[in-house]
Amino acid sequence: MKLVLFLSELLTVASAFVVALHPNVLYASIFLLFTFLGVAVMFVFAGADFIAGAQVVVYVGGVTILILFAIMLTQWLYQMRLRDVGNKLVVPIAVIGLGLVPFLYKGLHQLADFVSKAPPPNLAAFSGSPKTTAIGEALLSSYLLPFEGITILLLGALVGAVWLARPK
Amino acid sequence: MNSAAFAHTLQSWFGVGPLWAWAALSAFLVIFLLALPFGGIATYVERKVAADIQDRVGPNRVGPYGILQFLADGVKMLAKEDFMPAGADRFLFNLAPVLVVVGACSAFAALPLGKYLVGADLNIGIFYILAVTTLIAPGILLGSWASQNKWSLLGGLRGAAQIVSYEIPVALSILPAVLISGTLQIGLIVEQQGWAWSAEGLQQYHFWNGFHNPFTFIAMFLLFIGGLAETNRIPFDLPEAESELVSGFNTEFSGMRFGLYALAEFCDVFVMSAVVTALYLGGWHIPFVNIEGLGVTLPQGLVVLIQFGVFLVKTLILVFVVMWLRWTLPRLRVDQLMGLCWKGLTPLALLNLLGTALWMWIFKGQSLAQLIYGAFA
Repeated sequence: MKLVLFLSELLTVASAFVVALHPNVLYASIFLLFTFLGVAVMFVFAGADFIAGAQVVVYVGGVTILILFAIMLTQWLYQMRLRDVGNKLVVPIAVIGLGLVPFLYKGLHQLADFVSKAPPPNLAAFSGSPKTTAIGEALLSSYLLPFEGITILLLGALVGAVWLARPK
Repeated sequence: MNSAAFAHTLQSWFGVGPLWAWAALSAFLVIFLLALPFGGIATYVERKVAADIQDRVGPNRVGPYGILQFLADGVKMLAKEDFMPAGADRFLFNLAPVLVVVGACSAFAALPLGKYLVGADLNIGIFYILAVTTLIAPGILLGSWASQNKWSLLGGLRGAAQIVSYEIPVALSILPAVLISGTLQIGLIVEQQGWAWSAEGLQQYHFWNGFHNPFTFIAMFLLFIGGLAETNRIPFDLPEAESELVSGFNTEFSGMRFGLYALAEFCDVFVMSAVVTALYLGGWHIPFVNIEGLGVTLPQGLVVLIQFGVFLVKTLILVFVVMWLRWTLPRLRVDQLMGLCWKGLTPLALLNLLGTALWMWIFKGQSLAQLIYGAFA
């Protein structure tokens, strides 16, 4: 099981590197798909099965397709080489990334401290219990206002899309 | 015996290896013993059905009634030249059929083939099937793009747009069944559709979800129609459309790569039919009979076999309907296809969802049959 988790982490990170560094924007978007899949597997290991499913449905089935469509329907975009831009940015990116390592280390350390001090959770009961019930109840009780806010936002986006695509 | 129990059994038989390895093996077994042979035999059956409808003989050379035709086809596909068009994108050309097959085959893991025969009875079973089958759309799109062929690309763009659009009515038509059962776990959804007489009369179980109330009856058909579009079958096979796009998204694919596409299509048809069966047609339940409540204790192996047989019969009837439609209906135009999805199926599916929710609230979850029975009892 550890091995599968490790492989999914490797998939996520390696694909993320390809996304960031590949000169062809189409390849970058395809490897984004693998990053999303790797993250979904990690959600499964965190016991969040519903989130993992939603991750695949929304990001692989929706966002990736949308990006691919945008690339394929934009003329000459998929033949554009992005390497020049990438080379110029490698040094600043590396500097910023290395500069962030201490903060990341500290944050992870604090998180590990917090986890080790917390009472041990009942993992067996947790991974077997249906999380969808809890998610549904939370969405319709304590998080009702944000939930409704998002629905209004999405409705606005939908109406906007129809307005943009209307026959002139 | 669900996946965990099955894995435990395997582990205890052989006494070696970690549990997850045996769980993975049992999932592989489902795919190799069910998905792949089904995909092969379905190509033969489809040709025979086509021949029957068109008053021809169909394949009849290899083996009795040509039944071994699919093996001959498989050998032919493996032996064919590994052809790739000049200018094709090598990596994507190889990747695309694999994505499609992975999407179609991994759905088999969560299909409820019987009460004790589920690859993995997940908490989010039906949602898992929806999720993994979304891998098919990028597969089709990438394969068509990698071919460097305008017909392929047109087919691929159509395919992806069609699958993404029809996911909405399909998901909305799955929800009424989930509303009735109160769970996403596909095994539990099927289990609640039993109908059995006992000493106290009718049990509280209701009949198949498809006949629960008028709204679910419509939802069942919407799910089937949306599923046809998602699997690119006639009357929604615009991504292939031989008459205008040569062979659509798979024009440049030959040999085993084409074989993978064909296999994935048939697996997808099976998964779609199995989902309709499980959600709305009672899954492994025999109508009006509860084989575990007969008062006779049948050996578990026999129960597993009977339930598997019942599930398979229901699913294969739907698969036959899919093939029957293929040789009966003409193909829709692109604008008709999108119009049907957004102006027809989606509003109807939303209405169904609302109707089922109101029904569950007003009648306290009782089905139409239970209400009629209650009025006379």
